[in-house]
Amino acid sequence: MQDTVREDEILLEVRNVSLSFGGVKALEDISFDIRKGEVRAIIGPNGAGKSSMLNVINGFYHPQEGEIWFDGKLRHRMKPHQVAKLGIARTFQNIALFKGMSTLDNLMTGRYTRMHANLFAQMAWVGPAQREEIEHRQKVEEIIDFLKIQSIRKTPVGKLPYGMQKRVELGRALAAESKLLLLDEPMAGMNLEEKEDMCRFVLDVNEQFGTTIALIEHDMGVVMDISNRVVVLDYGKKLADGSPDEVRSNEEVIDAYLGVSHD
Amino acid sequence: MFYRESGDFKTSYIQDQQIFPILQDRMFVAVVAAFAFLVVPFLINDYWEKSVLLPVLIWSLAAIGLNILTGYCGQVSLGTGGFMAVGAYASYKFTTAFPELNLFIVVLLSGGVTAMVGILFGLPSLRIKGFYLAVATLASQFFLVWLFNKVPWFYNYSASGQINAPERLIAGIAVTGPNAPPWATYLFCLTFVVVFALIAKNLTRGRFGRSWMAIRDMDIAAEIIGVAPLKAKLSAFSISSFYIGIAGALFFLVYLGAVEPTEAFGIDKSFLVLFMIIIGGLGSILGSFIGAAFMFLMPVLIKNILVNGLGWSPDIVAHLILMIVGGLIMFFLIVEPHGLAQLWRVAKEKLRLWPFPH
Ligand SMILES: Nc1ncnc2c1ncn2[C@@H]1O[C@H](COP(=O)(O)OP(=O)(O)OP(=O)(O)O)[C@@H](O)[C@H]1O
Ligand SMILES: [Mg+2]
Repeated sequence: MQDTVREDEILLEVRNVSLSFGGVKALEDISFDIRKGEVRAIIGPNGAGKSSMLNVINGFYHPQEGEIWFDGKLRHRMKPHQVAKLGIARTFQNIALFKGMSTLDNLMTGRYTRMHANLFAQMAWVGPAQREEIEHRQKVEEIIDFLKIQSIRKTPVGKLPYGMQKRVELGRALAAESKLLLLDEPMAGMNLEEKEDMCRFVLDVNEQFGTTIALIEHDMGVVMDISNRVVVLDYGKKLADGSPDEVRSNEEVIDAYLGVSHD
Repeated sequence: MFYRESGDFKTSYIQDQQIFPILQDRMFVAVVAAFAFLVVPFLINDYWEKSVLLPVLIWSLAAIGLNILTGYCGQVSLGTGGFMAVGAYASYKFTTAFPELNLFIVVLLSGGVTAMVGILFGLPSLRIKGFYLAVATLASQFFLVWLFNKVPWFYNYSASGQINAPERLIAGIAVTGPNAPPWATYLFCLTFVVVFALIAKNLTRGRFGRSWMAIRDMDIAAEIIGVAPLKAKLSAFSISSFYIGIAGALFFLVYLGAVEPTEAFGIDKSFLVLFMIIIGGLGSILGSFIGAAFMFLMPVLIKNILVNGLGWSPDIVAHLILMIVGGLIMFFLIVEPHGLAQLWRVAKEKLRLWPFPH
């Protein structure tokens, strides 16, 4: 959790967003913001609309109502790959790695928007394409060192155990060097040790690289430990928003969420 | 024991990114290339040219093309025969309209035309996937062959409806037509194959290749990382078609000399190339070569042994070959999607440790 959160500077703001699928209201009039440099948690029971919120932020879903402001500008309807270029990266609730590719290639793909060698340069390889490849390889190797995944550099990710895959997926998102990193349940399904590692990585990313992070997490202990502010969703509505302590003592939250949580 | 990486440490990313990271492999490839360019032209005769070398080279090129689309980008296509026909007819139109035009340029332009046709028929891939896309490309196969049969402009209004490759010279030596010496046609094809195999390798190991594989493996994740599906799929369709178009042009100009579209570029050719990449290895340039050589030479070999050697009836042998191919396809699809190329890699992996497996 970073001490250098700039209270006044808002990186992303969601204003009055509503999203429905047919009759299902996944999000109803949701507003909240994410400040530069903070770790923002989004919590809520199953089906609350958390993943849908991330999908709205990175352009997979287009809300029927509401606005998204990013970096001080109103964002018009955008496709996910355009959102990626703006500087928003994410990981998925169910691992979404490129299974046939090595760890290294997965991370190199994370650099996609930053690489520009044209078709002819790439056909020739020698020259600009190779220079670019090496330059980005160096960055990717830094991330490999940071996540301590040197030994699986060349392994096809489909062959890695679950916890490692989660880590590689984080690596791929990090490789994009985005301004905002969205993590959808990065610790789900992990054992205690893996969870601790992942927590450490999330905090280090936030502190060392200064990346703003929004994460969804069910483990309340984790949420309270690593986030600056928490927004609580329930059945598509916003229940509460504030510091971990405020949220924890909020009556409605206790009733709706903590009461039925598994821990 | 002697074939290995140890003692051959990679000290830079350039070395780590080489196509053949192992010294022995590089030496082997250099020897093969020298042999192919410097020795084979002196040994080649009609039989080797027409029955082995030209078809294997040309099918390899087509297989690389389809592998880019299907093996790397994950878009199944059954239109390969049709796209080869586009290349063939484009080369015919170019070389008859501009007889002075250098044959290298004719072939490249034909690839360019096929690339554009490929983009057109690739458009449905933005909406549909898998089985449905395969059916759409199948439709393009039939449409294209129908078109070249139907519209006389494509075959210059010839009475037979066929197209014939006129004699064209490069540096005073015939490369097409009945008088072309085997070594000239061979070197012409070999040049294309070597240059474009290298280009394919370069494309697939870089940013383009990663965008294709990302779309293949997980299109949603590819998008959030910044890969535009439109760009990735259409670039795969166009580059793949370019290769297949070149293969079609060479197939017609240099190998067959005369073409009737239904016969030369039918649906069986689409399947042949698909089988080549499945057996050789999806997503592997080397596998494209292995698959092409295997699928083309295996039937020839079996026929030679069983029909000519043991006197079996050709009918039975033809059926036997079909059964063998069918069995192999099932084997590779189920057991080893990365094909013979992967088996080869595994063998090398073992060799690297030999004779001390632990
Ligand atoms: N593509 C979709 N089509 C139809 N309904 C959807 C779609 N995506 C989400 N929903 C619905 O929206 C609601 C919110 O789902 P969402 O996945 O956002 O919940 P969540 O908070 O992430 O839950 P979980 O903790 O289980 O991941 C659910 O009722 C879900 O069925
Ligand atoms: Mg979810």
